[in-house]
Amino acid sequence: MGRLPGQTVSTRVPSLVVPARIEARSVSKSFGALDALAPVDLRVDDGETVTLLGPSGCGKTTLLRLIAGLEQPSSGDIVVNGMSPTDARRHKQIGFVPQSPALLPWRTVEGNARLLLDVNRRASPTTPSVSVGDLLVEVGLGDFRDAYPHELSGGMQQRVGLVRAFAIDAPILLMDEPFAALDEMTRTDMRHLLGRLCEPLGTTVLFVTHSIPEATFLSDRVAVMSPRPGRITEDVTVELSHPRRPELEDTEQFFHITTRLRSGLRAGLDR
Amino acid sequence: MKPGAQRIVAPLVGLIAFGVFWEAAVRILDIRRFVLLAPTAILAELADAPDYYWSNAVVTGWHVVVGLSISLLLAVVVGSLMASSRFVEEATQPVLVLVLVTPWVAYITSVVLWLGGGEPTVLFMVAFTSFPVFTFGVVGGMKSADPAARELLASVDARPWEVFWRLRLPSALPSIFTTARFAMGLGLAAAYFSEGSAFVTEGLGYIGQRAAAFNNAEALWATIVSSALLGVGGLVVITVLERLLLRWHSSQRS
Repeated sequence: MGRLPGQTVSTRVPSLVVPARIEARSVSKSFGALDALAPVDLRVDDGETVTLLGPSGCGKTTLLRLIAGLEQPSSGDIVVNGMSPTDARRHKQIGFVPQSPALLPWRTVEGNARLLLDVNRRASPTTPSVSVGDLLVEVGLGDFRDAYPHELSGGMQQRVGLVRAFAIDAPILLMDEPFAALDEMTRTDMRHLLGRLCEPLGTTVLFVTHSIPEATFLSDRVAVMSPRPGRITEDVTVELSHPRRPELEDTEQFFHITTRLRSGLRAGLDR
Repeated sequence: MKPGAQRIVAPLVGLIAFGVFWEAAVRILDIRRFVLLAPTAILAELADAPDYYWSNAVVTGWHVVVGLSISLLLAVVVGSLMASSRFVEEATQPVLVLVLVTPWVAYITSVVLWLGGGEPTVLFMVAFTSFPVFTFGVVGGMKSADPAARELLASVDARPWEVFWRLRLPSALPSIFTTARFAMGLGLAAAYFSEGSAFVTEGLGYIGQRAAAFNNAEALWATIVSSALLGVGGLVVITVLERLLLRWHSSQRS
């Protein structure tokens, strides 16, 4: 069995020593006459969790898709783990978590969790640091391996989506509002679960959300974006200690950061 | 009545009532034999030569199964190309519509002349008439594949054949099964008519056509009922396969 949450603690490496895991330089995107994203610079270091926070339609998903290599930028350069996004996809360097769980209804929970391992097999890890079975147990789905997606709740389905992304052992996770469709209580549980999964594995995460508590709880830094054409208006460091526990959300420090992010968002809207 | 028993009893009651009405109508209205034969007379004819009708039904069934299989195989190939390229889809659609709407009975003589009659003509007609229906089913099903799942597979650079095998084809199965029911009706009609026109010497269509030529209403109606039973058998097979292969689909859940 590989590393599981609680077994090790990640070591964050200063950005000046090693190259960034993700680096976007003057990246913009237009769809015809529509400017979705103004030139943006973004750097995410090894083991760092950075959140793109902004109002709907501000281009945060577009930026994530550009980094995932699912769209081509209109201008600028993107480097993902030392390579182009296309090569990063080819070498399975990215664990992608879409907005909807995107589970295949004909596959069981375990089959879905293994989906990304089963395609482009040459790039799959020969010995993943954590097995699919262990990950399913970790997210509380150990007894549901043979269940089908329609037998699961929305939160359980999204947990399968998380396991599927973690299973390929990618050094980078790109998450596009994965908890947006969940009710508030499940959503809170899910961000706590995600924090628990990411911290010990030292995964680099780029997270998209418009939930301020989610951004605060999960992130080391929050890039606040303005409405379309999206640009990063503020880069807020979240100075909360690791590991982060659910109780953190009741602290004054947490409240202070959420207030700070809310005013940052408001300032972006007023520009 | 329990729901399980009702599912068997209700259709039986319906069929028996239909048979009684049919028999009564023929007797009371004194309908001519060729226009409508009484069910008891048809059953007597089938009971008189069961092997004869069974062996010919097997031949027609074989023509339908082989013809539909060829059609489905080609539809999956063409449908996949159409689903993955808007240009191919737009270029192919009008041709398929033409094939679909043109009455095949009008050009079957040309097909007989082209292929020289016999089994190849029957198989061609079954496959050709059902091909557009299957193809539209495949295209619709493949295009319904979850876009988020497509993107997910793209995020790890899945090869096109992997996307086809793991996502597009399973997504198309529900609509393939739906269209298979229509294709079954089309294929059976094409097989029956072609067997009667393509110089074959076996099959329900052949003996039906011969019965019509020799004024044998009993044999003609026996082939009609045998064809209907063949169609019902085909639909049962499709339904069972659907139950087995689509257990995950909402249509198969109570």
